[in-house]
Amino acid sequence: MSNVSHSIMKKRIVSVVLIAGLIAVGLLGCKTATQQQSKRLTLAVNSGVEGDALKQAANDYEAQTGIHIDIAEFPYTNLFEKELIDFNARTGAYDLIMLDDPWFPRFASKQFLADLTPLLQKRGQNGPDKDFVETSIALCRHPYQTGNLYALPYVGNSQLFFYRKDLFEKYGLKEPQKWEEVLAAAKTIHEKESTGAGGNRIHGYVMRAAQGNAAVADFMPIFWAFGGEMFDASGKPIVNTPEGVDALKFMLELGKVSPPGYASFNADDVGAHLLQGTAAMSINWPAWIGPFSDPRKSKVIGKMAFTTLPAAQKEGKAEIGNWLIAIPRDAKNAEGAADFLLWVTSTEQMRKSAERGNPPTRTSLFSDSQLVAKYPSYPAQLKSLQTSRPRPRTPQWNEIENAFGIFLSKANSGELTPEDAMNQANAEIEKILQRGQ
Amino acid sequence: MPKSRKSYNAASKRDLVFASLLIAPAIAVLLFLSIYPLAYSVWISLQSETANGVSIGLHNFYRLASDGFFFTSLVHTLVFTTAALTLEFSIGLGLALLLNQHIRDRGLFRALLLVPMMLPTVVVGVVWRLMLNSNFGAINGALKQLGINTEQLTWTASPGLAFASVILVDVWQWTPFVFLVLLAGLQAIPQEPYEAALIDGSTRWQTFRHVTLPLLRPAILIVLLLRTMDLLRVFDQIFILTEGGPGFATETISLYIYRTAFRFSEFGYAVAMSFVLLLITNVISTVYIRFLQTRESAS
Repeated sequence: MSNVSHSIMKKRIVSVVLIAGLIAVGLLGCKTATQQQSKRLTLAVNSGVEGDALKQAANDYEAQTGIHIDIAEFPYTNLFEKELIDFNARTGAYDLIMLDDPWFPRFASKQFLADLTPLLQKRGQNGPDKDFVETSIALCRHPYQTGNLYALPYVGNSQLFFYRKDLFEKYGLKEPQKWEEVLAAAKTIHEKESTGAGGNRIHGYVMRAAQGNAAVADFMPIFWAFGGEMFDASGKPIVNTPEGVDALKFMLELGKVSPPGYASFNADDVGAHLLQGTAAMSINWPAWIGPFSDPRKSKVIGKMAFTTLPAAQKEGKAEIGNWLIAIPRDAKNAEGAADFLLWVTSTEQMRKSAERGNPPTRTSLFSDSQLVAKYPSYPAQLKSLQTSRPRPRTPQWNEIENAFGIFLSKANSGELTPEDAMNQANAEIEKILQRGQ
Repeated sequence: MPKSRKSYNAASKRDLVFASLLIAPAIAVLLFLSIYPLAYSVWISLQSETANGVSIGLHNFYRLASDGFFFTSLVHTLVFTTAALTLEFSIGLGLALLLNQHIRDRGLFRALLLVPMMLPTVVVGVVWRLMLNSNFGAINGALKQLGINTEQLTWTASPGLAFASVILVDVWQWTPFVFLVLLAGLQAIPQEPYEAALIDGSTRWQTFRHVTLPLLRPAILIVLLLRTMDLLRVFDQIFILTEGGPGFATETISLYIYRTAFRFSEFGYAVAMSFVLLLITNVISTVYIRFLQTRESAS
């Protein structure tokens, strides 16, 4: 008997020790983590070309300063979720975050981000460097353009108008300055190129009209050029004005010379059509310029041209889409983060980021001779960026964009008339705004 | 070895304490992983954000009543579930009956039939998205070869076709599961009732109706229950295939909940909608179980 009870006793002791050990290891882990906090930085970055550049910069910084940098990398939509969850739970998991500019009003209005001005002043700067493009730095202030500084711009994207210069030359067309000219040229190309290689025609135009971000981004430049506005001076939605409806009607006209099924197109579909040479014109982002000269992907090497967005009743304006870097309010190492932020947005580091494929946000770099030699579209990009407009600055932009995109997509897929789509969109946007009050 | 009653009791008390210590971690885990989150989600569903901070109440549940998007996505979910379940069940049952017979190479057929089910739903979504691409996709490519005009066949871009496409993909992927469960059910049925039916001179239909179906009922119950629950919460394939579009044509309740929570960060409202989905799933499941079980005990 004593043998049996002994062995039971032994087992009990062993299990208790094991459990205690496990708990101890867990606690120890926490302890060491907090101790090393001051020599560490944690970055939340977007997986993609923008995040890659920041990751490489972080490696250089680590080598230079010995400060260890942890990278948390997420795909676009997850990045937003992770950051939001971190802010709400106040975990302070990240010292620096990359954010897409439409997220900024939401984060800034909830005071999730650290005010950069005191951090800059401590480092002998009164405000952000004057070299940053004005439209980019305006995005980093809350309220827009006038308020406190909560971020610095890292990647200076804004839309460009892409067109096939070979086809334009072939049919004696000149670079389109107006949306009417775009439609006329698109119709010409659509008719004349109706029997391309393998029975594949070249479509006059191609756009993204999938619900959500895609349709809205491809519609806003037309909407603005036609004189449409999303909100009036008092903040009431007015997308269903005659100008707005006309803009949507025009979008449907472009749809007639776009590839069938464009109502569900996202960036990849549009990219495929342009690279395969089956569409002649499009609004697109600078990130797509590179692949056109890649022989493995592109059938249109040397045939694409890039310019600013066409006008209509009003001046042509691109949508701006910058990647910003900010320091969360609850960052554990805000001082270290500020050092890194200033370093990585300096002219020298941003040049490296530009060489890695990201448009800069500094005016001087857009006219840097070496960079212009590598990226001939830089002058057009700078002009587009300087005259660009931001998406309406509201904390509820995600919801509004989603609703607006649904109705735009419904109009493009033939489910609703342009008038109905705009009226319903307006009503829905009004509902969303009311909820926020 | 005989023990006195007293020492036995003491020992069993010690064992009881030790036993509770041993199961304590499991109970703690359960508390943390299911009971606490459930209670917490009820708490979240009562919160809604306003300009002056968070307010507590039933606002989120009132909002359901006036939300057209919620109502439409709910209808989409129910139509999707009914259509896909009907197709999956009838095709699955047909295949199970067919491959329950002694036909040549049936092992090979069975193995091939199970392939779609083994693929991750996300992969299935991507593959079909590529195949259904109206301009470069394999399906329109094949139809063009046959001389069919595919200009109007924009699978994921016209509302009706997009809805049919998401149903088609689910049927393609999950019919094998229905088939597998029903086949197992069929093979568990003993030969005797069939022999008896044969002796009684029943027709094939009568045998199927009065022998096979009643004996297959447990398998049918399982398969309907699992498929219905899965279909009601369908997310991945549709998210990849159409992301709810064009417009709102294929938006199901799960997609709308996802968007509300993670894109618009209105967690309270998202949780409120999840409770509605939970309620619907529960009601339907209870109906199945009642209906199929009482019939079983009656027969």
